[in-house]
Amino acid sequence: MRDVLSYLLKRAAWMLLTLWAVYTISFVLMRSVPGNPFSGERNVPPAIERQLKARYNLDAPPIEQYFDYLTGIVTRGDLGWCTWLEDYSVNQVIAQGFPVSATLAIFALVFSLILGVTAGVISAVYRKSTADVALMSAAVLGIAIPNFVLASLAILVFVFIIQLFPAGGWGTLQQVALPALCLGLPVAAYVARLTRTGMLETLTKEHVRTAFAKGLPKRTVILRHVLPGALLPVVSYLGPATARVLTGSLVLEKIFALPGMGSHFINAATQRDYTLAMGMVLTYTVLLFVMNTLVDLSYAIIDPRVKLQ
Amino acid sequence: MPLEVRRGFVIFAAGFVILALIWAVRLDHVPPADFAFQNGTEPRTIDPHRANGQPEGRIVFELFEGLLRMLPEGEPDPETGLQALTPQPAMAESWEISEDGKTWTFHLRDDIFWNDGSPVTAHDFAWSWTRMLHPATACEYGYLIYEVHLAEQYQTSQVAIGDPVEVELWDRPGETPTSEANVQHFPRGTICYGILRNIEKPPEPKFEDGVSENERDNQLAMWEERWVYEVETVKEDPDGTIDWGEAGELRRFSISDQVASSPSVERTHGVLVPFSQLGGAQAVDDKTFVVTLNNAVPYFLNLVAYYPLFPVNQACVEKHGAPTWTKPENIVSNGPYQLRFRRLRDRVRVEKNPKYYKADQVSFKTIDFVSLESQNTAMNMYETGQLQWVYDLPTSVIEELRQREDFHSAPKLSVYFYKLNSDVPPLDDVRVRQAISMALNRKQIVEEVTKMGELPALSVVPPGIPGYISAQGLAENVDRAKQLLAEAGYPGGRGFPKMSLLYNTSERHRPIAEVIQQQLQNNLNIKIELKNMEWGSFLDTIQQEEYEMARYGWVGDYPDPNTFLDIWVTDNPQSNTNWSNEDYDALIKAASMEFDAEKRMAILREAEEIFVRELPIVPIFFYTSAEMAKTNIEGFAPSLLDMHPLSVLRYRDGTDRTTE
Repeated sequence: MRDVLSYLLKRAAWMLLTLWAVYTISFVLMRSVPGNPFSGERNVPPAIERQLKARYNLDAPPIEQYFDYLTGIVTRGDLGWCTWLEDYSVNQVIAQGFPVSATLAIFALVFSLILGVTAGVISAVYRKSTADVALMSAAVLGIAIPNFVLASLAILVFVFIIQLFPAGGWGTLQQVALPALCLGLPVAAYVARLTRTGMLETLTKEHVRTAFAKGLPKRTVILRHVLPGALLPVVSYLGPATARVLTGSLVLEKIFALPGMGSHFINAATQRDYTLAMGMVLTYTVLLFVMNTLVDLSYAIIDPRVKLQ
Repeated sequence: MPLEVRRGFVIFAAGFVILALIWAVRLDHVPPADFAFQNGTEPRTIDPHRANGQPEGRIVFELFEGLLRMLPEGEPDPETGLQALTPQPAMAESWEISEDGKTWTFHLRDDIFWNDGSPVTAHDFAWSWTRMLHPATACEYGYLIYEVHLAEQYQTSQVAIGDPVEVELWDRPGETPTSEANVQHFPRGTICYGILRNIEKPPEPKFEDGVSENERDNQLAMWEERWVYEVETVKEDPDGTIDWGEAGELRRFSISDQVASSPSVERTHGVLVPFSQLGGAQAVDDKTFVVTLNNAVPYFLNLVAYYPLFPVNQACVEKHGAPTWTKPENIVSNGPYQLRFRRLRDRVRVEKNPKYYKADQVSFKTIDFVSLESQNTAMNMYETGQLQWVYDLPTSVIEELRQREDFHSAPKLSVYFYKLNSDVPPLDDVRVRQAISMALNRKQIVEEVTKMGELPALSVVPPGIPGYISAQGLAENVDRAKQLLAEAGYPGGRGFPKMSLLYNTSERHRPIAEVIQQQLQNNLNIKIELKNMEWGSFLDTIQQEEYEMARYGWVGDYPDPNTFLDIWVTDNPQSNTNWSNEDYDALIKAASMEFDAEKRMAILREAEEIFVRELPIVPIFFYTSAEMAKTNIEGFAPSLLDMHPLSVLRYRDGTDRTTE
């Protein structure tokens, strides 16, 4: 257990360092991009722009802004008020957007795991059958087709031709289903291929042959002796899969009009909402870091050959 | 890892996934609203004095109500389908205007209440107008009412020696004399009144050549903070009246904490003209509100019906502060609807306000303002009945939609044009500007590219404004254009420098820019390079005036030619063309002083005549609206200002949002 603890501590230290680097780079980049949150089609008179800047501490020298804002985040966990979305603080925006994105990601991941593993097992067990060819072709397509194309197709089929799901919006399970499906399919395709490869490899292992030789039913051998070993690559893929689901939802949230973090992220950048963009970048950094750590940890627990370092 | 840990972990992981699923399934579902529509980008704020876009405006119009409200008058025009909207009695039931047109007296209704039950009074309006104009509120629409007495001086913090002034002491909540400012919209520390006797200025900073403009502005701002204002204070009676004649002690104030560290100087947030005491917006009694103007403004009633002049509740704003007062649990409003909840980048839900004086005439119980930018998504949601009105239609299917019964289209008070930077040769030559404009084929642009039924534009004021006929622009004429270009020294386009045409990255603007590029190449042999920029950088580039030709648009604030013409006067911050014409400036000024409507329109037209010959911009087309609304909605019709008062809409008897 000690190595787990020291591993976690080490990762936490790395995360803090990464966050600080991300903060610094984002800060510099944002300030060097032309435009500011107060520019609009209608120009703001200089006197008024000065008042607005004072409100967000943007009139202070950049180095002072850098430290003031950092102090606020570290000491109070306060990411400040949004500079564009001015009725909300960044924390409030995240509190509203995170559950939406998380719900979507959970559905997409669970869906892709169930579908991907099932498909992978079927095509490995019935190798070279029609089912195998069909499933693997589907998987190749699934990986190749970008999810916004998938989304358009899905809308055409499931919204207009078979009127099964609503076209967009958020609030009911029906509304989550379609975006989660589109988000999860490419991941499912990848998982299916990984499972299949893992299964085929494990099927040739000696302990599997022994199990068959003992006369165990095929079903038992596959579920107890083949699948656990075959799933190891899938577990290690969960880290990148989470990242993919989180970032992939940027596009889907736009298409399905979902109020998740992705839409805030994009809009914060285009609207020069400095504080919100910073908050989003930092949140995504934390999310990805934590998810990757969890995956590494679980990998080490499941597979005795892996040592945490 | 021991085996048990691994077994345990698998069970734990499975449990975790199940828990996560359970958490994800409990969505907070809300029943659909009676009426839902596409409201464009997420509203920035719902504070009437901070809002500035159309999505914000639509919400503020329903949550709050001003002295007047724009409402339909008569039937829609059978030819264009346009519904006339005029300012009609709202919080004010009647009003009078003095003979010189400079004093407006509004009489408020007796049965008007905020939704917390307190009555709406003239004092609410006086306070709200002051808040709107206060420099720290930074309201972008302040300029609309600069003719109101002292309004401009107040918003732009101008004071002169000998003026009565108000001084806000550095004692807002949480402030000490040396602390940072507690920055707020319309903050109020203790206010003292007095007469400004003197301003002591330290030596003005000198600048070397090569100091950036930004740095210069910064230095100047810091220098101004160090000014010491000497104010002869006057007494405020307990009832709030001030005797400006009675001189009191002389006090010294400064904004800078260093200067104010001297015992003889007090720290202040600023010295302003006392708009709340002497300004042109005063409550005479609870129900009488008087506005005094410096010059008559013929379209003043339109301004009064515009949302930046709507009142906010003083008690609510002061209790919660901005922006917390706009939260659904805090906000107090007086419009036909009240705020139920806001879900970011999803929807703003409002419900009927039972305290509204005309609540029995408001039909929809709940309305959703759905934040939706994607045209396709909006169209999908409209087609599946999730939305009842969409205004931003996908161009790809516009031809089909045009045939349908639920399609509405009408001219809009909005123009699309290219700004020409008159500082960049050869665009400083009027002949070149005219040649560019005359060489275009606008018909091709509107019929083959934009396809929304836009009208080709040769002038800058859109048609449809009552009492005004736009100036006749220079007709398209390729031969004449070539000739002009030759006269300017570029026969056959030879020697014409390569110029760039700037537009913001968008599927809308790119094809238009391409067609213009091609037309100029074919007709004048001028090579133009296309340059696109993301919106924020685009605006910045234009404001820095670092462009040659740039795509732009302008939407009228009120139905009057002035809103399209006064932005081009010398040094107007909206112009950015470096074009300057004394005659034009003089005419615009003269028009603002003229109260006779007919004469005024004639003056404005004269100004536009100059404009369309000088062409600091190349007008391309006038926008038309193109929107879809379900056929069972009564009272829906396009209007010139593209406004749709939602409180007058209703479903035809026996139908609702689920039926067609």
